[in-house]
Amino acid sequence: MLAVLRRELKAYYLSPTGYIFMGFFLLLSGFFFAFSNLFTASPSYLGVLGSITFIFLIVVPILTMRLLSEESRQKTDQLLLTSPLSVTGMVLGKYFAAVGVFLITLLITCIYPIILSFFGTIAVWEIVGGYVGFFLLGSAFIAVGLFVSSMTDNQVIAAVVTFSALLFLWILDWIIEGLPTDRVSGIVFACLLVAGAVALVYFSIRNIYVCIAVALVGLGIVAVLYFTNEFLFDGLIVRVLEWFSLLKRYDNFTLGILSLSPIVYYISFSSIFVFLTVRMIEKRRWS
Amino acid sequence: MVQVINLTKRYGQHVAVDQVSFTVEKGEIVGFLGPNGAGKTTTMNIITGYISATEGSVKVDGFDILEEPEEVKKRIGYMPEFPPLYLDMTVQEYLNFVSDIKKIDRKTKKQSMEKIMDMVKIGDVRKRLIKNLSKGYRQRVGLAQALIGAPPVLILDEPTVGLDPKQIIEIRNLIKELGKDHTIILSSHILPEVSAVCERVLIINKGKIVASDTPENLSKRLGDTGRLSVRVAGPERQVVKLLRELPGVKSVDSTGAKEPGTVDLLVEAEKDIDIRRPLFHALSRAEYPILQMKPIDLTLEEIFLQVTTEEREVS
Repeated sequence: MLAVLRRELKAYYLSPTGYIFMGFFLLLSGFFFAFSNLFTASPSYLGVLGSITFIFLIVVPILTMRLLSEESRQKTDQLLLTSPLSVTGMVLGKYFAAVGVFLITLLITCIYPIILSFFGTIAVWEIVGGYVGFFLLGSAFIAVGLFVSSMTDNQVIAAVVTFSALLFLWILDWIIEGLPTDRVSGIVFACLLVAGAVALVYFSIRNIYVCIAVALVGLGIVAVLYFTNEFLFDGLIVRVLEWFSLLKRYDNFTLGILSLSPIVYYISFSSIFVFLTVRMIEKRRWS
Repeated sequence: MVQVINLTKRYGQHVAVDQVSFTVEKGEIVGFLGPNGAGKTTTMNIITGYISATEGSVKVDGFDILEEPEEVKKRIGYMPEFPPLYLDMTVQEYLNFVSDIKKIDRKTKKQSMEKIMDMVKIGDVRKRLIKNLSKGYRQRVGLAQALIGAPPVLILDEPTVGLDPKQIIEIRNLIKELGKDHTIILSSHILPEVSAVCERVLIINKGKIVASDTPENLSKRLGDTGRLSVRVAGPERQVVKLLRELPGVKSVDSTGAKEPGTVDLLVEAEKDIDIRRPLFHALSRAEYPILQMKPIDLTLEEIFLQVTTEEREVS
């Protein structure tokens, strides 16, 4: 894993990718810092961190698009996959390399609060907490990008799909606001989830009887839940989609609250996507 | 050393490898011969654990590729058809990285890298970016990569493809040299290459193994050793007549005159008869000088056609 991590970090700075990422990130964060802190003489730095989260939409695809897609295009995955290295080790090496570049960039932005501290007192621990949140949010986005990169051997497609996926996560809160919260829609949504599960089962094993069984069991569970606790279906869509809302969990950090649950949430979110990436690579070898 | 049992790989409806079984003993050099798309690369990719088989199993040194992939991968050095090189690294950085992922001990790493670079003669390009290397050098870096970690089994997919004749000879000699203490499986679609290097040949077609034998036996079995191409200075009709009367000659065909006053002939002899000497004496008595005489090797296509038609007759 360390060998892959080292190679990837080096590759970022041997190619323009690392510099483009850092340059763009620092440029934008510098703008925001200048406009919202320096020109207005405001000491609230957390606001800057909060308002530059949209930056991930643009810079994360740059960082992650080539991670795995280039390996399969250049056939260098043949080297990695036929070496005694495990797939998990390889994926983690790549993930931490991308996170590492992000972390280095983030450390450079620490200059901004230090500049602020010359002109007055800043809330040091609030800012540290804000940085933790910002870092975790970015790492979760990078995990999504990594996963997308494992699906294609075309970097441009990887970048565009990553951008779309992040955009979706970004506007998820607005989408949620417009969704119905009544009971009927909740039941319909639960049935759609069951249908999705059936489709997934069908495409992986192509056995119609198993699918029917899965459908019956799924609908049975929905029915049982409905008769035992019908309030469960009130606003079900909203509650399910909120699981994916990365930004909602970030709100606490911008307010200077450091609590455990969003930290656990972000780490699990990233872990799931890293795991899915490993599965995706394994699946490609089996097909 | 390498055991392949009933290997099958399906891509949807298409069967790339169909029930392939073979064993390679320790120290053997085995050639995989077949046209493009026969399933050579797929089989190699499965043995090395790059892709998985649909059915069947691969065992290396008693370890199963599915159950103990790490143990198997440790024992195999693989050079794919397109060497998996990181173009943005120098040769040395690249080999260093390969040593790291193959978990080579730090202390012996440098020493073994030097030895390998020496063996494949890439020491003088070690500081250059792989991007800027010629095809021949890239191929050698690919081979060096396979040699790192001193694996007992080497799997080389078309190791000489795209090289110039001098490099081909160098690589072949190197493979022979490596064959002394390695088990080697190499693939090729060039027959002379396989017969020059390998002790045993597996011919594969449409995902099936159609023949497995030593190169000599294979050509003997196909029974077509005695074909000569001869250029004789003399009138065509007389020369052809003279040669047809020689004992042991099966057929004589004229392939036209390439030099004025000469004739080019394709002479086919009966099985197991060397007609070169009688042919020389006969022509010399008649004072028709031989300007050129060379045996014609079977081409892969011919062997191939023969082997595949043979199979069809059997089944």
